Amino acid sequence: MSRTVIRVGQEPPALDAFADFFDGRRPVARRAALSLEACPGGRVLAIAPPGRERLLWPLSEIRRVPDQAADDILVLARAGDPLSRLLVRDETARRAILSLCHDLDRRPPVKGAGRLVAWSVAAVASVALIVFLLVPALADRLAVFMPPEGERALGDATYRQIRSALSEDGLEPLPVCTDAAGVAALQALQERIAGQADLPHPLRLEVLDHPMVNAFALPGGRVALFRGLIEEAASPDEVAAVLAHEIGHVAGRDPTRNALRSAGSIGIIGLLLGDFAGGAVVQFLVNRLIEASFSQQAEADADSFAHRTLAEAGIRPSAMADFFDRLRAREGEPSPIVAHFLSHPQMGDRIAAARAADGLLSGPARPALSARQWEDLRGICR
Amino acid sequence: MAFGVLQTEYAGRRGRLFGLALRTSLMTVLTVGLYRFWMKTRLRRFYWSAIRPGGHPLEYVGLPMEKLLGFLIAVVFLAFYIGIVNLVLMFLSFSLLSTNLWAYALSFLGILPVLFYARYRARRYILARTRWRGVRFGLEPGAWGYAWRAMAHWAVTILSLGLLWPRMTFWLEKYRTDRTHFGSMPFVQGGNWKMLYRPFLPLMAAPFLGGAGLVVADQGDHAAGIAIAGLALLLALYGLVHYRVHSLRLLTGTKTVGGLGLRARPRPGRVLRIYLFGYGLAGLSLLVLGLVLGGALSVLIAGMPGIDLSAEDPFATAAALPLWASVILGVVAYFAVFIMWSVLRQVFVTLPLMRHYAETLEITGAHRLAEVEQRERDEFTEAEGFAEALDVGAAI
Repeated sequence: MSRTVIRVGQEPPALDAFADFFDGRRPVARRAALSLEACPGGRVLAIAPPGRERLLWPLSEIRRVPDQAADDILVLARAGDPLSRLLVRDETARRAILSLCHDLDRRPPVKGAGRLVAWSVAAVASVALIVFLLVPALADRLAVFMPPEGERALGDATYRQIRSALSEDGLEPLPVCTDAAGVAALQALQERIAGQADLPHPLRLEVLDHPMVNAFALPGGRVALFRGLIEEAASPDEVAAVLAHEIGHVAGRDPTRNALRSAGSIGIIGLLLGDFAGGAVVQFLVNRLIEASFSQQAEADADSFAHRTLAEAGIRPSAMADFFDRLRAREGEPSPIVAHFLSHPQMGDRIAAARAADGLLSGPARPALSARQWEDLRGICR
Repeated sequence: MAFGVLQTEYAGRRGRLFGLALRTSLMTVLTVGLYRFWMKTRLRRFYWSAIRPGGHPLEYVGLPMEKLLGFLIAVVFLAFYIGIVNLVLMFLSFSLLSTNLWAYALSFLGILPVLFYARYRARRYILARTRWRGVRFGLEPGAWGYAWRAMAHWAVTILSLGLLWPRMTFWLEKYRTDRTHFGSMPFVQGGNWKMLYRPFLPLMAAPFLGGAGLVVADQGDHAAGIAIAGLALLLALYGLVHYRVHSLRLLTGTKTVGGLGLRARPRPGRVLRIYLFGYGLAGLSLLVLGLVLGGALSVLIAGMPGIDLSAEDPFATAAALPLWASVILGVVAYFAVFIMWSVLRQVFVTLPLMRHYAETLEITGAHRLAEVEQRERDEFTEAEGFAEALDVGAAI
């Protein structure tokens, strides 16, 4: 028998092959004959397993199982039928199907979107509730009950961590400056500012040998200034102002609160981010962001503590403004994002507040240290 | 080929895995971790489809969205536990004992049963979404039962100084296996725990050798002592791989599924070589890549105005960069190293290991597969959320 076939346009690929069909009921491969047929609704792929009813899969409903390891088997499914699979190994058949079926990679609609949204809201709400309300509230209550030895141990542990983190060679912790005359001057400065202050802990004040222009307070009355800060300051009053601010944190027990808060929140951040990128660094930054938003009030409180204490000690509170003015002139106003990370209220507001606080002085202001003592303090890291 | 014996082919290629892993890791970093549910799904599809028992690939049918949902559910429960428990433990630890070591230890101990629970649940999810020849695998519920058994076995193992480790390996494997199904057909773990002592011998010998080294060093011969201790360490490393591989062989060989059986013949020497060469190659590739990128970067920087690369001190050159540029460079370098390492590890270690384990696996009694029927879908809304949140899920 011979036929004459007249083809118009592109030649449709022939399809005359076998493939393994799985019906999704039993793990038995059925060697099915494949053929293409025309139907009223469009062309279909006819799958004929031996001794079974033929299946007709409309070409537009054929989907390919994605992300396969190799191309030598084409794994096909029919949209709406989660179980049946057709494994096509025959190369011409694969080519034909790839060129004929245009919706091979169309994804099924997402099911249960409403439930996903509901749980997203629940997750965000529960995390927000815990990180921003429960953990801070608990930390504030517990910080008061922490015995002094516990706070000191917490502060010491953190101090060690900071010193080794800033270590130059990664072996020795960052050294503490110990020049005798300098330490005596530092002692005098501390006495003058905090002599009368009512603090939950005796102060333990040290200078760290590092060029950073910064200072920090830790749980248990630990306060540290960096050498860079003393070098940057134009007068002992400016160092006194920064010191008074840090002592304000000690008075408010802010460092203990912060430590307890981060113990609670850093685990939750780890939970959310997984280890998608070595986690630790990202976790640290995000935690910094959360903490910063907490401590805006704490910073403002520490500032007003500093203003009062300085005025009582007869030191100009506006020295703080002088210091910040110089920093700002050198580095410019930090952008809001940077300011957030710095965890301090906008500098402009702080400078204005410090200048206004000169009104608290009851008599004429005296320098925080004598010229000689100031000289000694500047040489503390010799 | 004996009647009814199916060999397993492996069809995974490094190049394609590299492309897939690189693209999906990049997306994960760019989406701050959100894409990881898609990444895991896509990688699993790849790895599963590469394994072809009897020529028919496995199929992974888990969906990214269900993983995301499961993760959100887990977060709702775990956030409370982790946040509050850690805070209170930190407080108690410093208040009562003035140290944070206890807080870490207790917090770990408290999360431990949840870790085992999460592991079992993750396994249940993964098996429920794995198919071969169109038929689902499955694992019966029993996560808490697994969690307390695992805790008890670990306690016994630690108390016995590790001597009862094979007992733990066997009973935990039996707990999991006896709840596993292929379609309607249950798996049964045969054999007994004492059979695992043979593969355990090299690992068990290592501490004794180490002890001998200490004695020798104590007698005054330090060099010999250190040499023996070094040997003991190598023996321990080999012993660990030997135990893993041979216990897997024994445990797989004694598993049955209805009339079907399994045979695994992985070789510890081969596995060890894959680890050594794999990590070596991954490290080397990372180094070469770093040098090439570093070179390209310095050429780029040299083109910037105001930069003098001929300066004596390379740090001075780095310091001359504008702050934003060095921050961006730092972040990009950090993520580049992180991504490349995880991608290269998959390409050079995970894939060859899977290939070896797959190619040494046989199924016997395959003519009885016709007796197996499909099983019901295990909806399992929470997916592997707990394991994902706690980072104990398999890497892929």
